[in-house]
Amino acid sequence: MDAELLQKTKEAEEASKALTKRMRENLIAIGKNRDEAAFQDLYEHFAGRIKSFLLGKGMQEAIAEELTQEIMLIVWRRAESYDAAKAAPSTWLFTIARNRRIDYLRGNSRIEVELDDELLEVDDSAPTQAEQVNLAQQSAVLETALNKLPQEQRQVLHLSYFRGQSHGAIAKWLDLPIGTVKSRIRLAMQSIRAELVAEEIE
Amino acid sequence: MNTISHHLTDETLQEYAAGVLSVSMETLIACHLTLCPVCRARADMADAIGGASLDSEQTAALTGSASDILAMDKTLPTIKPAELPPVAAGLGVPKPLARLLPGPLAELPWKSFGPGMKQYNLSPQPRKEGAFKLLSLDPGSRMSKHTHEHRELTFIVSGAYSDELGQFNAGDISDLSGDHHHMPHVVSDVPCISLIATDAPVKFDGLFGKIVQPFVGI
Repeated sequence: MDAELLQKTKEAEEASKALTKRMRENLIAIGKNRDEAAFQDLYEHFAGRIKSFLLGKGMQEAIAEELTQEIMLIVWRRAESYDAAKAAPSTWLFTIARNRRIDYLRGNSRIEVELDDELLEVDDSAPTQAEQVNLAQQSAVLETALNKLPQEQRQVLHLSYFRGQSHGAIAKWLDLPIGTVKSRIRLAMQSIRAELVAEEIE
Repeated sequence: MNTISHHLTDETLQEYAAGVLSVSMETLIACHLTLCPVCRARADMADAIGGASLDSEQTAALTGSASDILAMDKTLPTIKPAELPPVAAGLGVPKPLARLLPGPLAELPWKSFGPGMKQYNLSPQPRKEGAFKLLSLDPGSRMSKHTHEHRELTFIVSGAYSDELGQFNAGDISDLSGDHHHMPHVVSDVPCISLIATDAPVKFDGLFGKIVQPFVGI
């Protein structure tokens, strides 16, 4: 990378860090003090993006608007359950939006690990270093890693997360063998993980 | 104690994070994630990629505003997620599976489909949507060689089987995509019970497979 590009990447990373920090503080302020100004700021950053996420998945305008409002209401009401040590604000909002959309479309909840499950296995297997990266602290690094991916890998990730397509559907859409789509996804995940681990070690 | 040696692939965890999988696939994944902290951490990363992508997503124009939400908060009742079925205690299986069972594994109304082989169907869907069922295979029994059009996930509930990829014990998951042919056989001295979900019907290779296929339906 030449010096200018490196400088730009650094600047983008700093801006992204500052934004994440502000959104984290917003969520904490809402959770603790029902802070309406903090909610206003959070809404301005996320609501339009969440609606865009829903529209991208083929939802009608009016339904996307209504669901966005519902999602933001859930965010306002549940902010005290946001754990800043576990996830970046964008990740927390993404999972709420994703799950609410699934609830709406299917009429049943997304199936997830239940944290009160007596069979829940916690950690004595010591996940390898690769899995121990601090995702909450490293969202800016993750974003940079995402932007550094080759265009063909970013494209399949985008189609999957934001167009709601299965790997099979993406393969048909792009006229590629499904194995190619899967390997692009796999390579993308590996590169991002490698970047996160490298940052953790630094 | 953790003896997990077969994990979910990054591709499958990514699709799970994107929210594009079926209820049956989600159930299997959630069962494995309950027992596997390694895959849980990887699933968290897949969620975080979704979050980072959200940050760089475009913004759509909104008709509502933040103050609308604050006003809604005062009038709207709690938005509850769709309700989960109740779960019987002490079934010894992860909750996402336990919620689908009317009672202990031993007392399910299993249906036999061959010597030492029985199944319990969990899917109300027609078979073309893919299978979702429990299989119980007696010690020593062997499945016909088969392959899958898209994906087959197998979560080992109890016992163990072995195929070309190694031995699969309770908690392990076998995450196979279309091009893989396998022929599992049971190596535990108790029946091997597994939870299976497929995206599309299985294709059996040999004649016997073709004969049992209509009955197995995986």
